[in-house]
Amino acid sequence: MICSVTLSLTCSAVHGQEETAQGQLQATSKQLEFFEKEVRPILVEHCYECHSGKSKKLQAGLRVDSRKAILKGGDSGPALIASKPDESSIIQAVRYDGFEMPPKGKLPAKEIDILTKWVAMGAPWPAEQPADEGSDREAFDLQKRKEGHWVWQSIQNPTRPNIVGSDWPKSDIDFFVLSSLEKAGLKPTEQSDKYALVRRLYLDIIGLPPTPEQVQQFVSNPNTMGTEQLVDQLLASPHFGERWGRHWLDLVRFAESRGHEFDNDAPYAYQYRDYVIRALNEDVPYDQFVREHLAGDLLKSPRLNAVEHFNESILGTGFWHLGEWVHSPVDIRKDESDRFDNMIDVMSKTFLGVTVSCARCHDHKFDAISTEDYYSLAGFLQSSDYREVAFDAIERNREIGTQLAELDKSYRDKIEVLLAKAAPGAVQAMNLASREAIVANVSSLGDNVIVDYANSEPSQFFVDGEIFGKRSRHAGGISLAMSDGKAKLDFVRTSTAASDLFWNSFKKQEANSPNQMSSIGKLPRSGRTLRSPTFTLRDGKVDCRIQGQGHVVACVDSHRLLAGPLHGETVRGIPKADGFQWVTLNLGRYVGHRLHLEFTPDVDTLMEVQIVTQGASPEQLKAIEATQAKVAIQIAEAAKRVDLELQKDKDAAEKVTAIVESWSKARLELQQQIKTTSRVAMSMMDGTGEDEHVLIRGNSSNPGRSVARRFLAAVDGQEPLAIEHGSGRLELAERINSVTNPLASRVIVNRIWHHLMGRGIVPTTDDFGVLGQRPSHPELLDHLATKFLSDGRSIKKMIRYVVLSKTYQLGSRPDAISTQLDPKNQFLHYHPAKRLEGEAIRDTLLAISGRLDSTLYGPSIKVYLSSFMDGRGRPGQNGPLDGSNRRSIYLEVRRNFLSPMFVAFDTPTPFSSMGRRNVSNVPAQALILMNDPLVAELAKAWALRACSTVPLNEGQSPDARIRWMVMTAFAREANEPELAAARAFLDKHGQEFGLTIRDEALWEDFAHALVNKKEFVFQR
Amino acid sequence: MNHCNRFRPAPINRRELLQRFGSGFGLTALTALMHDSAYGALALEDSKSEAKGGMPNHGLHHPAKATSVIFLYMDGGPSQVDTFDPKPMLDKYNGKDPGEFFKVEATQFNNNGKVLASPWKFNPYGECGLQVSDLFPNVATCADDLCLVRSMVSEFPEHTFANYFLHTGSGLQGRPSMGAWINYGLGSVNQNLPGFVVVNGGLIPPGGLDCFGSGFLPASYQGSVFKPKGTAVANVQPLEKTVERQRSKLSLVNELDQLASDQFGTSDNIESAIRNYELASQMQTAIPELMAFGDETQATQTMYGFDAAYEPTRTFAAECLMARRLVERGVRFIELTCPSVSGDRWDQHSNLKEGHENNAKAVDQPIAALLKDLKQRGLLETTLVVWAGEFGRTPFAQGANGRDHNPFGFTVWLAGGGAKGGTVYGQTDEFGYKAIEDRTEMHDLHATMLHLLGVDHTRSTFRFGGRDMRLTDVKGHVVHKIIA
Repeated sequence: MICSVTLSLTCSAVHGQEETAQGQLQATSKQLEFFEKEVRPILVEHCYECHSGKSKKLQAGLRVDSRKAILKGGDSGPALIASKPDESSIIQAVRYDGFEMPPKGKLPAKEIDILTKWVAMGAPWPAEQPADEGSDREAFDLQKRKEGHWVWQSIQNPTRPNIVGSDWPKSDIDFFVLSSLEKAGLKPTEQSDKYALVRRLYLDIIGLPPTPEQVQQFVSNPNTMGTEQLVDQLLASPHFGERWGRHWLDLVRFAESRGHEFDNDAPYAYQYRDYVIRALNEDVPYDQFVREHLAGDLLKSPRLNAVEHFNESILGTGFWHLGEWVHSPVDIRKDESDRFDNMIDVMSKTFLGVTVSCARCHDHKFDAISTEDYYSLAGFLQSSDYREVAFDAIERNREIGTQLAELDKSYRDKIEVLLAKAAPGAVQAMNLASREAIVANVSSLGDNVIVDYANSEPSQFFVDGEIFGKRSRHAGGISLAMSDGKAKLDFVRTSTAASDLFWNSFKKQEANSPNQMSSIGKLPRSGRTLRSPTFTLRDGKVDCRIQGQGHVVACVDSHRLLAGPLHGETVRGIPKADGFQWVTLNLGRYVGHRLHLEFTPDVDTLMEVQIVTQGASPEQLKAIEATQAKVAIQIAEAAKRVDLELQKDKDAAEKVTAIVESWSKARLELQQQIKTTSRVAMSMMDGTGEDEHVLIRGNSSNPGRSVARRFLAAVDGQEPLAIEHGSGRLELAERINSVTNPLASRVIVNRIWHHLMGRGIVPTTDDFGVLGQRPSHPELLDHLATKFLSDGRSIKKMIRYVVLSKTYQLGSRPDAISTQLDPKNQFLHYHPAKRLEGEAIRDTLLAISGRLDSTLYGPSIKVYLSSFMDGRGRPGQNGPLDGSNRRSIYLEVRRNFLSPMFVAFDTPTPFSSMGRRNVSNVPAQALILMNDPLVAELAKAWALRACSTVPLNEGQSPDARIRWMVMTAFAREANEPELAAARAFLDKHGQEFGLTIRDEALWEDFAHALVNKKEFVFQR
Repeated sequence: MNHCNRFRPAPINRRELLQRFGSGFGLTALTALMHDSAYGALALEDSKSEAKGGMPNHGLHHPAKATSVIFLYMDGGPSQVDTFDPKPMLDKYNGKDPGEFFKVEATQFNNNGKVLASPWKFNPYGECGLQVSDLFPNVATCADDLCLVRSMVSEFPEHTFANYFLHTGSGLQGRPSMGAWINYGLGSVNQNLPGFVVVNGGLIPPGGLDCFGSGFLPASYQGSVFKPKGTAVANVQPLEKTVERQRSKLSLVNELDQLASDQFGTSDNIESAIRNYELASQMQTAIPELMAFGDETQATQTMYGFDAAYEPTRTFAAECLMARRLVERGVRFIELTCPSVSGDRWDQHSNLKEGHENNAKAVDQPIAALLKDLKQRGLLETTLVVWAGEFGRTPFAQGANGRDHNPFGFTVWLAGGGAKGGTVYGQTDEFGYKAIEDRTEMHDLHATMLHLLGVDHTRSTFRFGGRDMRLTDVKGHVVHKIIA
């Protein structure tokens, strides 16, 4: 053991001094005495509590109770480098330089001196038995963890259990359920009555109650297929997507503002919400839905909207960016790692039902998920980027861009062939100049070059939109120039990434949102931006050689909410100038950080970017200018020679002129097809593909080794994912969708079950890990997952399958014996009553009052702000109390101004995936139904509707109207005792407050009372 | 034996619950949870697991010294070196470059000026001789009840992070606030009022209402925002013209609910919802009673500052009086937010003198009155009063006459509720920049507050997202030296 020599040995050995077997310089007895008297007591008193074999919990993986242990160090690497106190982190820590140890207070200066002196003398330590190894943590064993937990095992296709002597089961679901009921000595309760069933189906599938006519139609339908027909009809309703879309939004912490201090807008978030609703309504296969979320921007053939033909797939990626955003963070890298953490958390819980984020700081405490798993996923995000994509235009214009590139090439080729014959000398000169442009900057600048568009790989060319074309253009290349409205042959003077006048008609459609503070949020970037490769900043001075006006944005650590006191230096306006200019960014604050630059021309202007450097000297910049000028002159001269030589060949000259004219005409024709305006939405964009480093203890200022991008090792093994180019998100999506992944389909069918039955087969819908609960019906879960896979991963088919089972259609009233045996209904002997969500309660009120505006989609209705909703970022404009009568899913969700009604009824705070809402019971709920002005207003509207729908003549019994109201509110007939109670109320209440049966006010009070009846907010 | 709550508790019915826990807010929340079978811990086969499943209203882990907390939230971050942590070195080196004396860390505004002496004088007060600046002449008279922690540190130099951290133990949005945790652990004593009340004087902290949220805990534990005047709380005022008219409607509701139970059966959820209406009705009467400040003597009102010339002082006076009345009614956790003074909250990036003076003027007299009033009524012993901002301020200037945010060392104080009065714990360096002795982290403060309430912060957990979450995350030590 002793011979396992430590790292520092090499270091000391270099000095050629003699080492003991322990890798230590032979210490003098005086040194050892110094250690025992002065040093060891300090270590024992101040460090051992957390850093020794006796620590209750070893901190940072570091022990300081043996020389070997200190040299070996902990999570942050060696703690001590013999003879080098300034480089030893133990000394830095006690000096409070970087680390701050001991945490409870700095050591007295004298003790710090002692430790420094000790390290300087080589850290002498007497030979002794190695200290107790007791508290070393048990090693993380992924294989063992994987084998020990059900969810990592592959999905089985269990056979339907045999049931003898019961004709209760109808679908396979019922066989599985009845089988476990029987084993527990239970039997299913009676089936629900048709009234309860019709209301349950309406509320569960579309989130709105049935009208009296719809109830009648269902209960009086003698057709045995009546339920099937109704279910199909409801699944086909556009309101289905609204109902189930809200469930989905809970998973992706959907909100339309960023929270934090000023609650900045999360612009166009509603486009994602509408995407979800449409996708659910169209029953997009779930694997496609997953693919679109992970990598909808990378699909070769994205799904286009059937009506408007825009790119649907790319909208799915918006979910990544729905989290909280921070402005002006002092530690900008930490801000990024927090954002990534949230993105990984939401992605892994939503699609995989496991808590990968628990492995951010250490291997997962319970599950087969390592810290490497976490950072391998973080790499996908490190390689990706945010943009506001012009989704209406992107596909059409991409196609036009491709055609344009082909068109240009074909005309250039024709001209080239002609020139090669007619002006060979000129062409040769041109080629020489062009070549010089390519090599010039490389040799003089070395690795100070971030990107040189004369000499960059296609993989370094990143654009959002088409205006910069498909690649950079090269000096000497054939181009068109316009002079006096006529097209003329020309040659590119400087190699650049250049925007093309061709695209100037393209504009973003929507105005900026009102609470947009970010200075870059206002720039016309969508579909008009060139992005540099990602790089590490080594020198704070970054120079960009640019022609044209607009903005350059240095996106450091992917931070984009640029508002407040810090980080203003990352945005730089490019002033108007003649010709090329150097635009310098002073980014000294960010040395060591990862960043990229984004270039955007002002509207109706052009921009060319030649080269971007960091830390280049003035001389080097001068040299670039000189080369550029020289090449430009050479090209101008060669161009002149082309003219001269062409003059000698009239025939060729005429041909060239004709080609140029027809080239220009062809471009103009193609230009007519540009999609000139577009809505925009948050989405992903690929950047430079790169892996992430493990951040030790989750600390962003303490990076460790880098880990290759891949899916969870417990599912896919440790091998890096084969990524063709870019981020690899599409490859990741395929791994998640793989039939060998046991998580994804179990998780989604369980979610469907949860929403329909009130509780998942795995009740902890977002955590299938060790701390989550075990499936109550594991075979049923696998049966559903198998069926889901074989049915084309259709969510609608799965819902249909479940709701047509007798299990789903069980009554909500359990029998007494079963209740005693299974009080928590683990075995599903009945279908418990379920409290409606706040959204469904409000939607129901709107529906029965006749006020519901069932318009689909569009910008959200501004949040209604009561006087109790205060704080920074409060929107200047208040929304309407009634939310314009739109369904609740269309009401704006502002993180810092959540609807008090929804919050009281457990709508989650949008910060993480919440597949299972709390169902709490607070007086605020009762107070809202009793005293909230909106509830009262809608109850009143309902009463007025009752009065006009069921008119009462003088002396007529109120029963008809009561019956209608009971039917609208509860989807069932009023019974005799209820009628009696209602009549008595109308009578007594009327007398007491001076109202007659003909007064609407009396009916308003009656309506308000019915809304407060518990049946209104519960679903049988 | 209780297996550290690691096993799912045996099924318990509503009646048993009623007997065991009495009734009230805690109960309704509890019943809601009990019937959500996805909640709570499952028996863990893995015996080495550290997990302890949480139990709502788990009750006391040890005898409590405090039963209520009043949290005086000093929005924006008061300067420690201008209030409770005198530093003569600032006078000595006023106007010098701070870089000469210590390493200046990155700040929010990155506009760091010279060492800036405090514009206020410090004097010793009380038998303990506690040093307090002229900003707090009234609070200073309570010196022997104050326990200063001069070595507080936070992890964040930005308001919102720091606020979430102070309130919830995490810098990001979405965690339960400490008031929610305390009610989750202990339940509420009062049946008619929420257990966690925020009296909003005007300034909701940066981070918004989510500073008072219940995060992943059920909504029942979230803070209810009250105003110190008028109807105090939303939806508590019946819309009906007379109480009788509402009562008549509610009696129909009751009757119909009963009929439905007979016909369709019922469930504990529905029964809890029915019971909820009783609570809501009681709350409708409890709130006006709470707000009847006219019941207080003129002397009391004057002591708090009801007739102060400065309007923000009058606002905070009402908040403090309301806090006392809430404590009397058994509310567990009361937070007071600052009134809006001309200028800004305690966030003086410039004009330190004027800004801090206004903010201090607004709160000094009411706070002193609150401490004295609680004491004379014998309530201070069981009421923990905590005065804290989200961070302190730099000992060097921002620009010419402001101070930037400083999370590296600042002062908070505790009084009553088992805190050791007349003491100073920890210290900052000689410039008041960083804590150097007995560094006290936010999790330590939370752990100590919970401890005084009889709760072991390591055992009050709630399972969410694959972890047993705590107010103190995986950290926190009880600071025993500040406990009486």
